[in-house]
Amino acid sequence: MPQSINADIRAFIIENFLFGDEADAPEDDVSLIENDIVDSTGILEMVSFLEEHFAIDVADPEIVPENFDTIARLSAFVAGKKKARETAPAGA
Amino acid sequence: MFQRILRKGHGPAPLGAREYLETLFLDPPYHDDDIHSLVHLREDGTVNGFMGVLPMPFVYQGKTLKSAIGGSFMVDGHEQDPYAGARLLRAFQSGPQDLSLTETANDVSTTMWRKLRGTILPDYSLEWLRILRPAGFIAAMAASAFAPAAIAKPLARPFDALLRRRGAPPQWTHVSDAEFAGKTLATEDADAAETVSLFQQFVSAFALHPQWTESALQRMVHESQRKADYGAMVRRKVLSRGGKPVGLFLYYGDAGGIGRVIQILSLPGQEGPVIDAMLADATERGLVALRGRGQPTLINAMLGRRFAFIHASSSIVHAKDKTLLEPFIKGQAFFNGFAGESWTRLLGDRFD
Repeated sequence: MPQSINADIRAFIIENFLFGDEADAPEDDVSLIENDIVDSTGILEMVSFLEEHFAIDVADPEIVPENFDTIARLSAFVAGKKKARETAPAGA
Repeated sequence: MFQRILRKGHGPAPLGAREYLETLFLDPPYHDDDIHSLVHLREDGTVNGFMGVLPMPFVYQGKTLKSAIGGSFMVDGHEQDPYAGARLLRAFQSGPQDLSLTETANDVSTTMWRKLRGTILPDYSLEWLRILRPAGFIAAMAASAFAPAAIAKPLARPFDALLRRRGAPPQWTHVSDAEFAGKTLATEDADAAETVSLFQQFVSAFALHPQWTESALQRMVHESQRKADYGAMVRRKVLSRGGKPVGLFLYYGDAGGIGRVIQILSLPGQEGPVIDAMLADATERGLVALRGRGQPTLINAMLGRRFAFIHASSSIVHAKDKTLLEPFIKGQAFFNGFAGESWTRLLGDRFD
């Protein structure tokens, strides 16, 4: 997955949920929910960020821990979305 | 879940509440095949979240807008499943409607709406309060926090009676005897049929307003008649000197209590006289204060009439087409009350 996706998501989390403190930044595979970094409000903030920053559409059934619980999962989710868009037939 | 989370009650929900929830959300006044209430299921298939949705068409610039009012938003154990509330709200906003609306968002819900780019409407979110009898008001507030304090209510009456004879109106603290005596427009009870007719007449002055059918509005008016927790219903039309209806107000309350105003309607520019007539009516009935939800035109008229304003819950709109936000931001939308969910028995009624 592109490093820039991971870096952008990490930067967003640090800025918006950790008051800009990089020392508290979680590892890629650390649960954002279980470590009280993100709550239900934060999940929605994340959805809006992903859609606006990466120009992807997040469907309601995709808002699940499998896609949103860690930085690694978020990055993989965005990368998958972008790849699907690039390989989709024109006009689809 | 409704009984436990929204009503803060213990034990099972009364049968009446179950029946009303079923009627309201499965057979609402307006049907839209594409707009429904939402439930959230745990992995084991049990329900842990709900968003009650009422379809209600609005009209703007001659076009009908598919709209949905969201309320009764609840999640059981949201700390354990923070995705439930997020998914419910997101699913609601992603529906086929042009306008997603709520008038009852608490602080948490308001933050969630904001994160999904909902527009908070300050002028529609302000709760107003007008004190009529200050000692009675304090006694009523004390009684609402601690029931035995109601014993102080009779003691407040002589103090208020004395105060009402003093001070040049208008006063922040009270309505004096001289304030409205013989000066306000006349009022008369409005029956259900007349109420429906006046609602449709008065809201048509707003650039964006509900497109009520007569039958749906009749049902809403009928259901609004019962709010046992708020007190007796007072529904009066306000008449010009020539006897023409220029406004309508609807509130609930009993003598010695704080009245809840659900709707104030008027011809454009007549908000002030209608508000005065309502205050005179409530004072005459022995209420100690009136409170209600703001609308920009009302708030404008309330300035100078010694109202206080606080924020309790938020009115919020979300539109995929951002041009539809304009009438809300400019205060040209009729929203809250009957253009919301305040008319339902969920707010202010008992089911036992």
